[in-house]
Amino acid sequence: MNTPVRGRITAALTDAGLGGALCATDIDTGATVALAADTPVSTASVHKLCLVATLYREAAAGRLDPTTPVDIPAGARAPGPTGLAVMRDAARLSLRDLASLAVAVSDNAAADILWDRLGLDTVNATMNALGLTRTIAVHNQAGLYATMVADTGDSGPAALVDPAAVARLTVLDPARTNRSTPREITALLTAVWRDEVCAGAWGEELRTVLGVQAWSHRLASGFPFDDVRVSGKTGTLPTQRHEAGVVEYPDGGRYAVAVFTRAASTAATLPAADAAIGRAARIAVDALRNTRERA
Amino acid sequence: MDLLLHLRYFRTVAEEQHFGRAAERLRVAQPSLSQRIQRLERELGVRLLDRGRTGATLTPAGRLVLAETDALLDAADRLRTLVGRVQGGAAGTLRAAVPPQLGGATVAALLTAYRERSPGGELDLRELTTAELTAELAAGTLDAGIVRHPCPATGLGFGPQLHQPLGALLADQDPLAEHPEIDVADLDGRELVLFPRPTAPALHDETLTACARHGCTPSAVREVAGIEFTRALILSGTHVVALVPRSAPEPGTTWRPLRGNPLTWRTSTAWPAGRDGPAVRLFTEAAHDVLREHAGLLPTATQRRLFPRPASEFPL
Repeated sequence: MNTPVRGRITAALTDAGLGGALCATDIDTGATVALAADTPVSTASVHKLCLVATLYREAAAGRLDPTTPVDIPAGARAPGPTGLAVMRDAARLSLRDLASLAVAVSDNAAADILWDRLGLDTVNATMNALGLTRTIAVHNQAGLYATMVADTGDSGPAALVDPAAVARLTVLDPARTNRSTPREITALLTAVWRDEVCAGAWGEELRTVLGVQAWSHRLASGFPFDDVRVSGKTGTLPTQRHEAGVVEYPDGGRYAVAVFTRAASTAATLPAADAAIGRAARIAVDALRNTRERA
Repeated sequence: MDLLLHLRYFRTVAEEQHFGRAAERLRVAQPSLSQRIQRLERELGVRLLDRGRTGATLTPAGRLVLAETDALLDAADRLRTLVGRVQGGAAGTLRAAVPPQLGGATVAALLTAYRERSPGGELDLRELTTAELTAELAAGTLDAGIVRHPCPATGLGFGPQLHQPLGALLADQDPLAEHPEIDVADLDGRELVLFPRPTAPALHDETLTACARHGCTPSAVREVAGIEFTRALILSGTHVVALVPRSAPEPGTTWRPLRGNPLTWRTSTAWPAGRDGPAVRLFTEAAHDVLREHAGLLPTATQRRLFPRPASEFPL
C-alpha cells in the first residue's frame, strides 16, 4: 500500500514546488504512512505542540497550576505578527490562556512566557520521557528569530526572500535549531489523543486547546468537511511550511499527521504550497482509512 | 575473493572455450587460471564449465552466470569512468552547466570569458534544467552552474542575483506590436504561451502570479517547450502571446519589452555549499559579467515592499 501512496504524496508536493517529509498514523491501530518520516526537521512553531503538551503534563502531575495568572508588561515581548506580540498594552492572562493564544494564532510572545516559565529543559525532558529522544528545543521563539536577524545581518527583511541569504539561515538546519522528526511529532499527538501525556480532565482540556487554531490554509484545507474535526499547529520559516495535527472522522477514525515542507520559492505568500500540505495529508489519511475498512 | 576479477577470468574462458587459450590471453599460468575458476565455482556453489579433451563448454548455470557477468562488469566499468570524471574535476576542468533559453551568444561569451580569466583551465559546459542542475550539484558530478530561481536551496551556495526580463513575443500583425513597449495589463484575457510547468513548477507559478499582480489574468495558458513551436502557435492564433526572454528576431513575430520589467526570471550562479574554490569563483565572476553584458540581465529588480500575512508566523 505504502509505495503508490508515497508516490502520490511526493507528486502532490512536487506539483506545488515543494520537497517534504510526512508521517501519518492511525491513532488506534498504529498503522502508518511514512515518507522520509525519520528525517530530522526544523520544527519552527510546530514545537509549540511540545510546549503546550508539557504545560498540561506538569499540571496533571500537580507541579504547576495552569490557572496561575501572569502579569505581562507592555514592552519586551517576543516579536511576531499576531497575538500579544502585536498588542500594545499590559495584560494579565493565565498560563493556560497563554497556551490557547500560542496555538490559536501561533502567538510568539505568549509562547515565550510559557517557555520561560517551564524552561527548555523541562520540555525536552518531557519529550524524552515520552520516548521522543530526537525532539529537542534549543531556543525559545525570541532566540530563534534572533538567529535569523544575526544570519541576515544588515540586509534586513528583504534578505528573507533572497535565495542566497535564505540558504545561509541556520534556523533552517535541523542540527542547529529546534528539531524533531515527522514520526516523533505524530507520536506526540498520538500520545496526547490516547491520554498518555496526561489523562482525565487535563487530557480533555489539552485536546481542546490544540483544536483552537484560527487558520485553515494548510492541514485543514485538505479536509473541507463540516463533520470532520481538524486540530493542528503550523510552523513557518522562510521557504519552510509545516503543520502537524489530528484529523477526526465521525465514524471514530482518528489520525495524527505531520507534514514538513521546503519550497523552492522564497516568496512569503504561496497559497498553493499551503494547500499542498492539506492534499498530501488527505492522501495519507485516506490510505489509512481504506486499510481500516479492509481490516 | 575478488569477485569481479574472477568473473573477468571466467568470461575469458567462456569466450575462448579453452583454458589454454584463455590463460594465454590473460597472461597467467593455466593451472592458476584453473584454480581460480574452481574457486569461483565453489563460491557460487555451481559448476560453470564442462572440461573436455577439446576444450571447455558452458553448463546451463554457466550460461546464466555469463549473462549476469556482462552486466556486472559493464556496471563496474561505468563506475570507474564516473569516478574518473569526478577526480578529473579536481584536476583543471570545471564542470558547469547553464539553463535553457540563455541564448547561444551568451554561452559562447561565457566560454570565452572563462578562458580569459583562467588560462589553461578548461570549462566543461552543458545545458541542464534547473532541477537537473541542482541534482547534479548535490551528487557532485557538477562543480558550478547558472540556475533560475526558485530552485531548491538545500546544500547550495549562490552568487549575486541577476534578473532576466521577460517580454512578449507577438505576431507582426498584432496591434500591440506597433508599440515599442507594452504593459502586462494589455495582455489581460489573452492566451499566454509559457514553458511547461513540470520543468519548473515554482517558476511557472511565480511568473503567472506576477502577471496577475500586474493586471493580467490570461484566458488560457499553453505550456510549450521549444521556441519553434511557440512561434508556430503565435503565427496561427490571433490572440496568442508568448512570455519569453529577448530572442533573436525571426520573420513573422516581434518581441516587445514589458514596461518597467515587471516579469523577470531571477538567475544566479550556484555551487555545492562550501566548495567555492578559485575555479568556481572565476566562473561566478565570468558568468555575472557575461549575463549582464551579453544576455541583458539586470542587477536589481524593482524593490518591493513586503507584507507577509499574519499566518506567516515569523516577524520581518
